[in-house]
Amino acid sequence: MSVWNYVVTAHKPTNVTHSCVGNFTSPQELNLIIAKCTRIEIHLLTSHGLQPMLDVPIYGRIATLELFRPHGEPQDFLFIATERYKFCVLQWDAETSELITRAMGDVSDRIGRPTDNGQIGIIDPDCRLIGLHLYDGLFKVIPFDNKGQLKEAFNIRLEELQVLDIKFLYGCVKPTIVVLYQDNKDARHVKTYEVALKDKDFVEGPWSQNNLDNGAGLLIPVPMPLGGVIIIGEETIVYCSATAFKAIPIRPSITRAYGRVDADGSRYLLSDNAGLLHLLVITHERERVTGLKIEHLGETSVASTISYLDNAVVYVGSSYGDSQLIKLNLQPDVKGSYIEVLERYVNLGPIVDFCIVDLERQGQGQVVTCSGAYKDGSLRIVRNGIGINEQASVELQGIKGLWSLRSSTNDPYDTFLVVSFISETRILAMNMDDELEETEIEGFDAQAQTLFCHNAMHDQLVQVTANSVRLVSSTSRALLDQWNASSGFSVNVATANASQILLATGGGHLVYLEIGNGKLVQAKHIQMEYEISCLDINPIGENSHYSSLAAVGMWTDISVRIFSLPSLELLTKENLGGEIIPRSVLLCNFEGVSYLLCALGDGHLFNFLLNTSSGELSDRKKVSLGTQPITLRTFSSKDATHVFAASDRPTVIYSSNKKLLYSNVNLKEVSHMCPFNSAAFPDSLAIAKEGELSIGTIDDIQKLHIRTIPLGEHARRICHQERSRTFAICSLKNCQTITEETEMHFVRLLDDQTFEFISTYALDTYECGCSVISCSFSDDDNVYYCVGTAYVLPEENEPTKGRILVFIVEDGKLQLIAEKETKGAVYSLNAFNGKLLAAINQKIQLYKWMLREDGSHELQSECGHHGHILALYVQTRGDFIVVGDLMKSISLLLYKHEEGAIEERARDYNANWMTAVEILDDDIYLGAENNFNLFTVRRNSDAATDEERGRLEVIGEYHLGEFVNRFRHGSLVMCLPDSEAGHTPTVIFGTVNGVIGVIASLPHDQYLFLEKLQSNLVKVIKGVGGLSHEQWRSFNNEKKMVDSRNFLDGDLIESFLDLSRSRMEEISKGMGVSVEELCKRVEELTRLH
Amino acid sequence: MGSLLADWPSYNPHNFSQIRPADPSAQPSKLTPITYHPTHNRTLPPPNQVISTETRHILLRRFYQKSVEKLRPKRAASDNLTPDHGSKQLRGAFADGCN
Repeated sequence: MSVWNYVVTAHKPTNVTHSCVGNFTSPQELNLIIAKCTRIEIHLLTSHGLQPMLDVPIYGRIATLELFRPHGEPQDFLFIATERYKFCVLQWDAETSELITRAMGDVSDRIGRPTDNGQIGIIDPDCRLIGLHLYDGLFKVIPFDNKGQLKEAFNIRLEELQVLDIKFLYGCVKPTIVVLYQDNKDARHVKTYEVALKDKDFVEGPWSQNNLDNGAGLLIPVPMPLGGVIIIGEETIVYCSATAFKAIPIRPSITRAYGRVDADGSRYLLSDNAGLLHLLVITHERERVTGLKIEHLGETSVASTISYLDNAVVYVGSSYGDSQLIKLNLQPDVKGSYIEVLERYVNLGPIVDFCIVDLERQGQGQVVTCSGAYKDGSLRIVRNGIGINEQASVELQGIKGLWSLRSSTNDPYDTFLVVSFISETRILAMNMDDELEETEIEGFDAQAQTLFCHNAMHDQLVQVTANSVRLVSSTSRALLDQWNASSGFSVNVATANASQILLATGGGHLVYLEIGNGKLVQAKHIQMEYEISCLDINPIGENSHYSSLAAVGMWTDISVRIFSLPSLELLTKENLGGEIIPRSVLLCNFEGVSYLLCALGDGHLFNFLLNTSSGELSDRKKVSLGTQPITLRTFSSKDATHVFAASDRPTVIYSSNKKLLYSNVNLKEVSHMCPFNSAAFPDSLAIAKEGELSIGTIDDIQKLHIRTIPLGEHARRICHQERSRTFAICSLKNCQTITEETEMHFVRLLDDQTFEFISTYALDTYECGCSVISCSFSDDDNVYYCVGTAYVLPEENEPTKGRILVFIVEDGKLQLIAEKETKGAVYSLNAFNGKLLAAINQKIQLYKWMLREDGSHELQSECGHHGHILALYVQTRGDFIVVGDLMKSISLLLYKHEEGAIEERARDYNANWMTAVEILDDDIYLGAENNFNLFTVRRNSDAATDEERGRLEVIGEYHLGEFVNRFRHGSLVMCLPDSEAGHTPTVIFGTVNGVIGVIASLPHDQYLFLEKLQSNLVKVIKGVGGLSHEQWRSFNNEKKMVDSRNFLDGDLIESFLDLSRSRMEEISKGMGVSVEELCKRVEELTRLH
Repeated sequence: MGSLLADWPSYNPHNFSQIRPADPSAQPSKLTPITYHPTHNRTLPPPNQVISTETRHILLRRFYQKSVEKLRPKRAASDNLTPDHGSKQLRGAFADGCN
């Protein structure tokens, strides 16, 4: 059953909606604060650039973000208002590094028509009041008292109903707003009002200006001494004040964002809808404005927000492309641009469509999104986990161990690769032609399995076999010294570093050797009560050649022990519990924190914090990495240490912000791994897989990898075809001619490896692509791309004509082989019982694929179903059809073969405006609607009455806070038949803010457990700004607001892992479940994405 | 053009002084900030700073203000004869606000 769902973010929102600059974290520090719809990020300006400080989830969609400085305060406060009419004022407490709430409240009104043009929130520059325009005809005032405290809010009637912008004017004795509005004849004007706080009313302001540019849309208040306001239109820019009026014409454009450069307000950066950046300059003499000038600077991403930072560096936040950090240069470059891009920040938004494919055929899904808009449109390939990019491989069966060795201590590169087998050891080395060939190290025993080998100090090498330890010169390769195991007590496990060797022989003997120049010295020997299963003496202290601690894993009592070296004195013993023996232990250090990792034979991994002076272990945590024994090895990449856990589910363990993270590796099964850094293969890993040894480079260590394919046009639909190994996209390109702007629409074919356009089909004038699928038909072996289109004519409210185009890919070309005209827009296409199911305006229509006498095919209408407002989203399962309607929620149709008819079976009678639907299982369907909610409905096929059977019952409701454009079944992670996560059915969604999320259907007991965890977490993790989690997640639209049910907030649940140990214990107490168990269960969830 | 693009504001000359322009083909910035999960008690504001909107309707507020303003001159008149002049002014001010 898919009733109980877990919703979690795999990729956080990246659409930047707001930004501001000020002294937030300290009076001396300059911060950039950016809003990404439901999150804010606080950055610090430093000499090296922007340094991210904090990512703050907000329980709301941010409508306003403003920094302000109340009287007498040394630093700025942050004002945030949310779309659901909550606001808060945040202050940074530098002592505790916490955000504290100075004020918060609810600014909703019971009656009122929400504004069409978005919410406006502004703060008086003299900090006398906060102004909000949330409902038509009302202006809300939250006054400050003289101590900077907020007082009760009140409404003032605002006569202007179609408000485009409101700003406070600078330098006014009474707080004064300027209102840009449109009258009922569509003319635009500005008007000023003084806010009379005592009378709670407006007083006619000092000036007004009628009949502005018809495209006037943005007000920029100018600070003193100039004062007044700049009005940005589509064809003119106007400066207006009580005493002056100046105007300049501009090239027609829509300005989306502005940023003030100078504190005195004489220069502004403006960005238009084509991403062109301009500098607007107010020229003035003796505090009087004399004119305006505008200069073209260059092109950036289409900006939604611009913040001038410092020293000519500007932050450009974008909703339609990557955000950027740019520098304004004094001289233009060769292309005439004054802009230099210093950094860019990936933005997947808006994700309009995506598909899930396994391009590398490794059993792991990758998401390919249609991202961005206009010129910044792109495809993004999003992959979970860390990729190993194979450089070379050789077939080798039965590898039992792998080590790399340098030919001298100071050699920067590895020369030898030691490969151990059950009864022999082979040495590979790079030859002159950068090829691996077999060689010999004479001093090594090649006729035995190597248990361990390592570079030792004084240009020596160490090899440990079952019988002996051999010390070999790395220059002469001759044996220098040898330590032999007593007869009958062969070496079982061994480890070494540059100066020490620790080994265990049968009978529980633990032997410690020290490496001298040409000498091996047995320094200590103890006997343990049980056999030893694994060992480690990786140096993690200050001396990188010597470890003062040894970690030892034991058979029988299933414990891990820490000994001091050289004394072999027991410091700590930790019982692991259970019956599975530890197979690999590792001492390691991440970001200055020491850990002991201990892997078991069943794929579980323990990690402990390690006190390096006392050997004490604390903060025990357990995760499940796979089902087979794990071998742990450290490696370095980009100057950081990571751990590779080789198993049936290879994983890289790394640390970010002092938290251990586990990332999947895109390989199926790895038995052994060692770093191999050679001149020909720098920074590579040698990997032993099933019957194969390969050398590969490793991706940057992070959880999600995103590759960008810039298109220069806006891709709106995407589909993959396995047979031809291609993608088909429907895209549109904006073409600017001197006289007008036109759109051209295409169907394009892309190679699925190179992502190059290999074929294009141009659609007709006014025709745009609405849907694309890859499918095949009954009695025809070919695989086709079917494209649904609409003729969008300017004079029509709804398209009355469209086409279904059937293409075949031949020789890498799109060949149109059939087309069918439709009586409306083909919003959706589905392969259905060997036929083609189309959603065309109000109708669902089924087409047969008919063979004509001449051998060609045509689409022939078979049957249909009327009764929708607009059938936008269609999913099918067997003979069932689930339709998401423009405004009539979800309905369920059934195709009857015998009668050749489609009938409605049930519907949800709520008036949800749908944005996406998906079928979770036979009876449960998932929907997303345009108030950012998710819901599930259930078909009651067993109900007693027709009425009940005809109703889809709403069983789950949840406020996601994101606009979902597409659901797809699939997973971002490798599907493993054995693991628990592999069994959880998941749906991926993509949103306007660039979020990729996962909805996992959980078993009921797991759901109940996590629901309890969530309710305990809500008590411990507070909403920033005092905003309530319960209210945030409540299903909310114009008609109703109900508590969320049958959906869990995975983002909150997974934040358990970020809590301090004491908070975890608090939760553990509340739950009656150990911290270890909680960590393990939550960690498993994080591996769903 | 040069003069317009000169003298960019500088608050701290060190900011961005060490930054190297990224190779356009290079991977974008990957530094990820710590995600904030407050567990302290100061996410709730002081009790007097939980703000709500005055519940009285604008029209009622207008009536109320009017009645207060009507009352004031009357009381003044009974106490003192001179404010007669003042009461006219008040009414006038109110009438302006009304329009």
